[in-house]
Order: sequence, then structure tokens, then C-alpha cells
Amino acid sequence: MRGRMAGQERRIDDTMLIREAQRGNRAAFEELVRHYDQAVLRLALHLTGTEQDAQDVYQDAFLKAYKNIGNFRFECSFYTWIYRIVTNLCLDHLRKRNVRKEDAPVAKDPSGGEYDLLDQVPDVRAGANPERDLMRRQLGARISGALEKLTPRERMVFELKHYHGLKLRTVGEILQTTEETAKNTLFRATQKLRGALADMR
Amino acid sequence: MKCEWVRENIVLQVYGELADDARHELEQHVARCADCAAELKAEQEFHALLAQDRAADATPNLVAASRMRLQEALETAKQGSFFSRLAFDPANWLRQVKFSPALASAILIFGFAGGIVTTYKFIPHSTTGIVQGPATVPVQTSIAGIDSISQDPNTNQISIKYKAVSEEQKQGSLNDQDIQQLLLYAAHNNYNSGVRVDSVDLLAKRSGDLQVREALMYALQNDTNPGVRLKSLDALGNYVKDDTNVRDAVLRALVNDDNSGVRIEALRLIEPVKADGSVRGVLMALAAKDQSTYIKSQARTMLAQLPEID
Ligand SMILES: [Zn+2]
Repeated sequence: MRGRMAGQERRIDDTMLIREAQRGNRAAFEELVRHYDQAVLRLALHLTGTEQDAQDVYQDAFLKAYKNIGNFRFECSFYTWIYRIVTNLCLDHLRKRNVRKEDAPVAKDPSGGEYDLLDQVPDVRAGANPERDLMRRQLGARISGALEKLTPRERMVFELKHYHGLKLRTVGEILQTTEETAKNTLFRATQKLRGALADMR
Repeated sequence: MKCEWVRENIVLQVYGELADDARHELEQHVARCADCAAELKAEQEFHALLAQDRAADATPNLVAASRMRLQEALETAKQGSFFSRLAFDPANWLRQVKFSPALASAILIFGFAGGIVTTYKFIPHSTTGIVQGPATVPVQTSIAGIDSISQDPNTNQISIKYKAVSEEQKQGSLNDQDIQQLLLYAAHNNYNSGVRVDSVDLLAKRSGDLQVREALMYALQNDTNPGVRLKSLDALGNYVKDDTNVRDAVLRALVNDDNSGVRIEALRLIEPVKADGSVRGVLMALAAKDQSTYIKSQARTMLAQLPEID
């Protein structure tokens, strides 16, 4: 209950900040950014795989939001609006990467087929247990490899649902499609992932 | 056929996205069908495998670096649409006409009496920017939409920028009749809910005025933006005791609003008049069967505090 009221306050709070930002108040906009940017960065980081790319998505997204905030008409929540900007930029990023990948020669490992992904995995912070870290790194690498094979849209739906816990209805709103389509896309994505990771069970 | 449906919905089950009835159906089927049960188990195991790999949070360093870089860029960034909003935008204007039929027939504002003329600033706009003109005030103006409302914190002067044939700006105190007219107009008609929030905000200070209260009730019942509805509600709060129209409007919001925040606020506001017959009736209905468990239990608590009626 308390959490719900807090959520309500946050929305009203955001409404004021949005209004101020629309009047050109940069401090208000920066405050608004701080309400959303850690979630945005986490999403971009996992989708792009490198801190550099994540930072670029962050920068582009919030600059775009700043320039266009005057057009924000409160027809959807600001959360949905900002996620729309971010996911569009990420989808562009994924599409570009897919094109580059098709041009590049594909590395195969001896066991026949997968990329050697260990080198591509972003650094995982070293923990107390190096062996478990290695296991986790290998699992992470295999999962990243499987995720790479999804289409950008399948990847995005899976990412928002699985890693970020969004409701499929929200995912649909963000990607400007129906909840039903989001469901079907999630189904396809998990089928593909299970296929790609079948040997891990 | 049934198995096929189950296979397609197992993933939704694992992610907690199935509606209650569908979940029940799926569970019933899985209890009887070994193949589907195995499939559900496999999906759950796969889910558990994936769950070992979590999306890492951005490090504090990355967050800080990203914020600094953005701040630097914002120094020089232009808010394109903010500045372009000051210029006349025919597409936008058409949009307003579409959304507000009243605009098509133009709203007339009267009362620009000679004595007060000097307190107004009339600032016509052209596409080249703002030109501050002499204090010429039309006796009557047709309004085509309100662009912005702001209040200077030092002087309490309110500036309202509205569209007529050309764009105009009006400044005056909240006691100013024309300012009030414009605020009432904005609360009713403006396409930009941010502007509606601002006008309701200012109108709230004059909720003693019957016409203002009517505008607030209208906003509470009709505005599509929950933030605007909530503001109207709060502005009306002091009148639930003395104004039965207000009380009814708050009760309507309590029963009908689709935003739970608005409903909870409405419930809070009618607390002082819970002994009133109409309020009691609504509370009993809510206590009996409201979809929100919070509202149901609050209504019960409020009723329990009332003396029994014979
Ligand atoms: Zn079956």
C-alpha cells in the first residue's frame, strides 16, 4: 500500500519535473534523468554488451528526450515514452551489429559451430570464488551467444521481460505493438533460446 | 488441440503472465497430461538455468561518467520543440481544433474594461519570435488554444500565452477576471495536459468561487490525465462538507475513476463526511465488493467507526 502511494507521488512529481523541463528548466530535466537513467543504463549495457556502447545509447537517448520533451503530451507515461526512445536506439544498434556480423567471417570452435564467445563477454567483476566465476562466465557467454541469434525485436522483448521484469503489456506499449504480439514474440524467442542451449541441461 | 494451446502458454505461465482463469486451465491440463507436464518442467528448468545469468547493474562509475557527459552536452543542446512552440504551428493548431470542437466556433472573452487595460501586456507573436508590443488590448478576442501558464514567484503575476489569430500573452493577478477566464478555459479545453495541470493548480487557490469549483469538478470527471484529476480533487477537498455538488463529484471519482491513486485520495477526502447518507451508501457498496482490497478494507474501517444506525 505504502509503495503504491509512493508510486503515485512519483508520477505527480515527474509531471511537475516534465512541465519544468518543457519550459526549458535544465535542472528539472537532469532530475528527471536521475529517476530513470540507472534502469536505462542497465538495459543498454546488457543489450549492447560494452560500457562504451551503453554510454552512447544513454547519451543519445537523453539528448533526444531533452530535445523532444516539448512534444511529450502525457498521452502515455513518461516511463513508456523514455523506454520507447531507448529501445528504438538499441534496436538500431542491434540491427547495425547484425549487418556487421554478416560481413565478418564467422569463427567456429572445434566442437563445431559456436562462436568463441569468451573474448566478447564484458568483464565480470572478480568475486571470491574464481572457479564459480569461470563457470558463470562460461554460462553467460553461451547465453549471450544464443541471444545474438535472435532477431532484434525478439531480443528486445526477451530482454525487457526476462532481464528487466516488465509486464508484457508494458513491453507492447513501449514497442508500440499489442500485448498479443509481444506474447508471440516472447514465445518464439524462448523456443529459439531453448534450441540453442539444449545441450546445457 | 488442447496440448498445443498449453505448449504456447507455458512460457507465459513461467513468467507469471497468464490470466487467472487460463492459469487454472493450464494447471488442470498439466495434472492429467504427462507430455505437457514434462514440457512445463523443461521450461521451468530452462528458466532456472537462465536465471543464473543476471543483467549486471551499471557500476557507479559508469553512471557518474554517463551523467557528466550528458550534462556537458546539455549545456549546448537546444530544445528544438520548446523554442519552436513559441512560433505559430499550423499543424498543431489544427490538432487543437480537432480535439476541441469549441475552438471551431471560437471562444469569446469579454471584460477588458478601460480601467484595467494598463495592467495587461499584449505580446503578439510572429514566426520570427516574440515582439513586445504596446499595451493594446482588444475588447474581445477569439481564443484558439492556450500554450502556457506560468506564475512569477516574486510578483505572483501570472502569464498566460494563448493563441488567437496570432499568439498573445496576458499577464495579471489571480484576481483578474480575464486571467480567471483564461484559466477556466485552459482547464477545460487545452490539449496539453501539462497546461491543464498548471491552470488547475492556480484555480485551486480560488476554489471559493463557484464557477472555479465547477471547472474543477469538470476536470475531475473528464480529464484524461490522472495528475490533473488528482489536483482537481485536492482543490475540491475543502468543500465536501458544504457543497453537496462537490461531495457528489468526489463520490463519483471514488466509484468510477480508473486510477487507484485518484480513488484512494477521494476516499481520504470524504472521511470527514462519512456519516452522510449518500457517503455511507457508497462506502457500504465498496466494503461489500470493491476490486481493490485496500479500498475495500478502508471502507470497512470507516464504516466500523460510525455509530450504528437503527
Ligand atoms: Zn497436453
